Amino acid sequence: MAWKRDDAPSPEPAPTVRPTPPPPLEQRPPNRGLATIGPSIFVKGDLQGEEDLVIEGKVEGKVDLKKNHLTIGAAGRVRADIFGKVVIIEGEVDGNVFAQEQAILRKSGAVRGNITSPRVILEDGSRFRGSIDMEPKAEAKEAPVRPQNAPARSETSADAKHTPPPAAANRPVA
Amino acid sequence: MGWFSSLGTRASGGPKTLPGTAESHHSLGLAALLEGLAGAGKMQVLDLGSAVGSNVDYLARYGCKLYIEDLYAAISARGAANPGESRLSPSFLAESLAFSPDTRFDAVLAWDLFNYLERQELAALAMYLAPFCRPGALLLALISIGKQMPQQPMRFRIIDPDTLAYEQQSKAERPCPRFSLYDLSEQMRGFRLSRSFLMRHGIQEYLFQRLPD
Repeated sequence: MAWKRDDAPSPEPAPTVRPTPPPPLEQRPPNRGLATIGPSIFVKGDLQGEEDLVIEGKVEGKVDLKKNHLTIGAAGRVRADIFGKVVIIEGEVDGNVFAQEQAILRKSGAVRGNITSPRVILEDGSRFRGSIDMEPKAEAKEAPVRPQNAPARSETSADAKHTPPPAAANRPVA
Repeated sequence: MGWFSSLGTRASGGPKTLPGTAESHHSLGLAALLEGLAGAGKMQVLDLGSAVGSNVDYLARYGCKLYIEDLYAAISARGAANPGESRLSPSFLAESLAFSPDTRFDAVLAWDLFNYLERQELAALAMYLAPFCRPGALLLALISIGKQMPQQPMRFRIIDPDTLAYEQQSKAERPCPRFSLYDLSEQMRGFRLSRSFLMRHGIQEYLFQRLPD
């Protein structure tokens, strides 16, 4: 059989297809698999969806991703109320932030508005004006949570009064 | 221009804590204020300093709703944009401290802001804040009694209920107004002095209490 490779090896090896090396990290599209609004995009209107989103451009309108992660990138500018499961802010937000699980304001981030979330992290260097409400409202419906200060009120010792209630990290998270 | 340019250099530049300028000091005033916070339900707290993440974390343990308004940064930004204008005019206060009419604070953290206000500005601020404070609300002010004080308000980080870390923004200093108890009592209309503590490091801590309507 003339086509048996073992019997008659070709003097010129067949060209092999080599896999193309991946592009350098900095050339890859950011956050592959995530929906992204790029830096040159300006959206005027409400955004709604059911997948994680990164905003690097400008958005003027409500952003509603209650079940998903929402990241306002360092170049992102949002002028509206935003809703997410976890909201990470590295850019600027002029509006209220509602995060069902957690809101994180990175050191490069700025928020002018109110943040409502069971857990809020402000990194040093971040800029914030507004109010922060960490009452875990959503969790309270499923598993009633005793008011944070209830035990302290019934205590009479001075030491108990000085001892803060447990850290927010101990609170139940949805 | 960013939307936050109005926050001024202090805010836009982020923290400029110089290495070695953070010092921890005992704070009896903070301890007394936090003791008051622990004794009630959900509280509303106004922080007139810059946003400090660890303070947010700490106060969250009390179940507080925390308002943060860096008033000195707003004053600085306004002064740069409108030199010569009155710093704490009613319109400026209404714009910078824009609370809903039904807001009632249980505690106000003024930190060392008062050191950087004129007497009449102090009176204007107290008059503006009083209606937003429930009767009995506590206000903590740290008054320098030395000849010199930092050029800008410091950042205060709550370490524990009776310890504060002082973080100086720069090494520059300026003369201290050295407000007396009489000065403060005269200007703080709507409040009465509840307690004061003279600390070893040259700070007099005052705890004012909102008078009943």
